[in-house]
Amino acid sequence: MNMILIAMIVLGLTGFAFALLLAILSKKLHVEQDSRIEQVNKILPGLNCGACGFSGCLAFAQAVIKERKIFNGCLPAGEELNKEIVAIIGAGETRSGKKKITAICVCGADCKEKLKTSIYLGPQTCQAAHITAGSISCNYGCLGFGDCIKVCPTEAIRLEKEKIYIEHEKCIGCAKCIKACPRKVLKITALTDLGTYYIACSNITTALETKAVCTRGCIGCTLCTRVQNSPYIMNGNLACVNASKVSDEVPLEAAKQKCPTQCIANV
Amino acid sequence: MKDLILIFVSTVLINNLVLSYFLGICPFLGVSGKIESAIGMGAAVTFVMTLATTIGWLIYHLALVKFNLIFLEYVIFILVIASLVQIVEMFIRKFSQPLYDALGIYLPLITTNCAILGAALFMVTKNYSFLESAVFGFSGGLGFSIVLIIMAGIREDLSYADIPKHFKGAPITLIVAGLLALIFMGFSGLISA
Repeated sequence: MNMILIAMIVLGLTGFAFALLLAILSKKLHVEQDSRIEQVNKILPGLNCGACGFSGCLAFAQAVIKERKIFNGCLPAGEELNKEIVAIIGAGETRSGKKKITAICVCGADCKEKLKTSIYLGPQTCQAAHITAGSISCNYGCLGFGDCIKVCPTEAIRLEKEKIYIEHEKCIGCAKCIKACPRKVLKITALTDLGTYYIACSNITTALETKAVCTRGCIGCTLCTRVQNSPYIMNGNLACVNASKVSDEVPLEAAKQKCPTQCIANV
Repeated sequence: MKDLILIFVSTVLINNLVLSYFLGICPFLGVSGKIESAIGMGAAVTFVMTLATTIGWLIYHLALVKFNLIFLEYVIFILVIASLVQIVEMFIRKFSQPLYDALGIYLPLITTNCAILGAALFMVTKNYSFLESAVFGFSGGLGFSIVLIIMAGIREDLSYADIPKHFKGAPITLIVAGLLALIFMGFSGLISA
């Protein structure tokens, strides 16, 4: 009994002595932190999505105060909030007319269109299905287990019939889904006023091989490159949009209508 | 005096805490990317280790041994180390913000640096006197710093080396650490009775 009491007293006293020392030193060595960091941090959405390029909302707030500029701004919060931040730091400017950045899925086939090699019964994640080469026949297409949905901070992605749909109003362009996708069918793109067109297929094999695995794939027929003033060019067996040639929406839309496998999509 | 020099040489080179006891591997691999942060980390560890062994010795011999409470040594040493790390953190933050940023998460991690707790416990098992444990703590920290700085120097040069793809990053770091430990084994015959 006595031993326990002494042990308690000794440990308690030692702890108390150190606590007192720390308390005194923390007052003496106090580093004045800019109160505006806390101010900025408070109005940020707190998603810690990392779309701004910093590790989290607090790191962004610190950088904003330190550099007195808002870098790319907070994407989820949008223009309004960035103006508020600018008001707090009292300098710099917002990037006005900023293009909205969003994720797109370059595989537009649903469960009926992409053919399957086998019935896949393994773990229901894209990562697992990707390494077992089970599930769909196409080696380039979306596996449709929705790994991207799990990582999306704003629930902008949904799955219907094993096809990915992205709600571009909700997408904040944080690129988390791009890292999660083992097939790399998700891409980041900036929306333009002319409408953003892209080939919703990433199968680079020949027409014969593409047709064998999917009815929606780009077969490299070059029809889209032959409409008038076409901004489409061929990149091997896969068509793509040459962004520097886009000046009008008409040829983009015309090519979309012409595509025999309907694999051109737009936002 | 001869004893103190012997303790110093043996702790820095022969019984190096990192390379022959394998203590404190986490900061050894984590902070050895750049020489500057390695020097900062080494200095912080040396400081904390010296104070931990001296203050630890005082508390151990004046309180624990006296009241027959030796079983409390682990708790007390952890308490001492945690408090000292807090103090060092405050000092560094006050006087060198760049160093504070460079050390980052590894500064609070000194708390759990097993090399420091290891040094405090070795001091007890080896029955050192007050002066001896102070020298032991300081040289332990110095040995840690030397190894850390050598490692950082090698790793800075490694980033320019043509390393096979699969050895890049962690694998080559661990191989270098192993080679370094081999080299330090060469010191083992330095002091002959």
